[in-house]
Amino acid sequence: MALSVQGVSKSFGNVRALDSVSVEFEPGEIHAVLGENGAGKSTLMGVLAGFVRPDRGAVVLDGQALRLGDPLSTREAGVRMVHQHFMLVPNFSVAENLALASAQTLWSGLNLERASRGPTSLAARLGWSIDPRARTGGLSVGAQQRVEILKATDGPCRVLILDEPTAVLTPDEVSEAFDYLREIRRAGTAIILIAHKLSEVTGIADRVTVLRQGRVVGQAAMAETDAGQIAEWMVGGRVTSAPTGPAEHGAVLLDVTGLTVLGDRGESTVRSVSLTLHQGEILGIGGVDGNGQVELAEALAGVRPHVSGTVSWPQGAPSVGYIPQDRQTDGLALTMSVADNLAVSRLDDPSARKGPLLRSQVLRESAQSLVKALNIKTPDEQAPAGSLSGGNQQEVVVARAISGKPSVLVAVNPTRGLDIQATADVHNQLRRAAADGAGIVLVSTDLDELDALADRRVFLSRGEFVESLLGAVT
Amino acid sequence: MIRVALTVVGLFLAVVLTLIVFGVDPVKGLGLIVEGAAGDKYGLARTAVRATPLLLCGLGVTIGWRAGMYNIGGEGQYVLGGVTGAAVARLVVPLAPGLASISILASSFVSAGLLAALAGWLQVKRGVQCVISTILMNFLVLQMLAWTVRGPLQESKHELPQTERLPNSLMFKRFDAQVDLHSGVFVALAVAALVWAALSLTRWGFVLRVVGQNRRFAFVNKLGPDAVQVWAMALSGGLCGLAGSVDYLGLVGQIGDGFSQGWGFLAIPVALLGGLHPLGVVASAAFFGALLAGGEGLSRFNTTGATLVYVIQAVAVLGYLYFVRRGRVKEAPAA
Repeated sequence: MALSVQGVSKSFGNVRALDSVSVEFEPGEIHAVLGENGAGKSTLMGVLAGFVRPDRGAVVLDGQALRLGDPLSTREAGVRMVHQHFMLVPNFSVAENLALASAQTLWSGLNLERASRGPTSLAARLGWSIDPRARTGGLSVGAQQRVEILKATDGPCRVLILDEPTAVLTPDEVSEAFDYLREIRRAGTAIILIAHKLSEVTGIADRVTVLRQGRVVGQAAMAETDAGQIAEWMVGGRVTSAPTGPAEHGAVLLDVTGLTVLGDRGESTVRSVSLTLHQGEILGIGGVDGNGQVELAEALAGVRPHVSGTVSWPQGAPSVGYIPQDRQTDGLALTMSVADNLAVSRLDDPSARKGPLLRSQVLRESAQSLVKALNIKTPDEQAPAGSLSGGNQQEVVVARAISGKPSVLVAVNPTRGLDIQATADVHNQLRRAAADGAGIVLVSTDLDELDALADRRVFLSRGEFVESLLGAVT
Repeated sequence: MIRVALTVVGLFLAVVLTLIVFGVDPVKGLGLIVEGAAGDKYGLARTAVRATPLLLCGLGVTIGWRAGMYNIGGEGQYVLGGVTGAAVARLVVPLAPGLASISILASSFVSAGLLAALAGWLQVKRGVQCVISTILMNFLVLQMLAWTVRGPLQESKHELPQTERLPNSLMFKRFDAQVDLHSGVFVALAVAALVWAALSLTRWGFVLRVVGQNRRFAFVNKLGPDAVQVWAMALSGGLCGLAGSVDYLGLVGQIGDGFSQGWGFLAIPVALLGGLHPLGVVASAAFFGALLAGGEGLSRFNTTGATLVYVIQAVAVLGYLYFVRRGRVKEAPAA
């Protein structure tokens, strides 16, 4: 037995991220841990690597309990991790990055050659050509991942954890990556692969554990299970086929055909997507994070350009209310007052203007009435938005988006991080807006939210629509 | 309110501490400073005249910084304003002396505004930080000053590196022949009121503040942050340029190598100490103006003199940044 997780629980605030999780990771075995967003994968990883101290439970390596919440000693004991977002200094050479990883203290001296000796001999054994003097930032993503792996496997490596290792790789690089994982497995290392989707680990994993809502809901040897079973575990007993919503929605507000949108790095994140939205309708768009939802929402909200396809508004130019994913950067000016944040959507409202001047009295009163109507907990409307709790900040964002009575509302994960009451408040706001005739595009990774609100649901997978969540997780 | 009170008390302590460290009896030293700055009409006039360029440049810095554009180029913009004024004077005075003052003021505003707007445009479109580009532009303008006062704008005898002196009739009105007080002081105060109204009361000022607090948020809400920031730089530079021509018309009447006394640089602490608020900047410019005027009084009795004034400024600004603005770092998100 290599690594044994025993009854680990961890809560953040009132969210239970891990609930009495127990798993055994065997040496010489590749063990996939699957689950949706928020299932607890990242927290479990954090506990194993020592970044997160659990509330209860133990992690035992070869009969020795690990010091939890101590990444350095965990690493020394032989539990190593390859992060999805590489922990490399791009301007350093490969050798310098390797030396940085093996440096014990600030004063332990620097010998680039000695630091890269072990890793380069491993690289040679794996048949990789890696130039220790190359600038890391100039390497391909696949090569950077190899540097990460060399960094992780330098020194005692009993357990190797890889977070979404294939997410960033091209298909060729994936098959190469699988080859060297098998090579590392041969040495008796326990390998843990974290993944969102089954397809990322088929053909490599020996065993699979599925997490949902912080619990282990299924575990099996890959040879003894199938994709249907695993998807069932991941999604649970929830309804996953698209229900047909009430048909009596109003006219078509928004008609999108063949929309293609680029992400921040110029990759196409939304691929030829088509959709229609009716008055009074809530269209739910689900799927696993990072499959183009945010980019699609930004394109519909007019914040991100599209490179091809058409977006037409049969009822004339709409007023679009937008509830962005990230309230801290996109949704609020945290240093400005709640009233100012609410005023932003009313700057061109004739009742709030007198020529170039703003009617501050009108804006203040409307802020006061919104704060009251939505029961936003703030000392007064002049308090900085950043001084409110997350849930109340989100309510300010929602209040602003809805207060202008938009004909179309685009909402991205509008209740992420909110407690039950705040979630119910926001849901009621959205339902009311739809009842008043607005069309709502609701992007959410939370299936329960889609169940509760959406008339129709589609799921995004790699930038394309699929009919069911099963399609999005397998 | 508490912040204002703390700032005033802190400034007072800074002055006293600096005097003590320099071995000056604080009571006597403070007395000399107050007397030099406000003891008689000469002192008051000195204070007002020193404060004028600080106020105009400080307002310029305020507009830029409130929009998230860190204009460090006030010095160059001030000088460019003065040089433009001298050039326009040379062209316009022979043709239409009646239009001289207004065209000198307007052209200095426009030329310095364009220079700063270029820096703003470079940041918004090309990612060149204003902090860097405006500093570099300072050097550019100072070289241009050195060239023009030896070349195209040199006085007619071609003896000294300076422009022709403006006839007294074209200078700003002086209220008392014995003191320097000129009507440019009131131009500066009127501009302060205008900037306050623009920032606090108008849609434009509101949008500018939103852009400065969170550019991405402004973008998501379709407030057009690019245009706002370029305009903010244009006005920021324009006011610094205006400061140059106001000093040209009010004080010196001719431009030489040493035209600027570092007003554009000193305006940055003036704006910060004024809390980047137009009315605060009025108070802060008055304080620094008084310190400079009073320092001249002090230097007549004490060898430490003007140096002491700069030390007091440094202590005051560092203290202000440490105690008052420190909290802001935590409030503001990294973005």
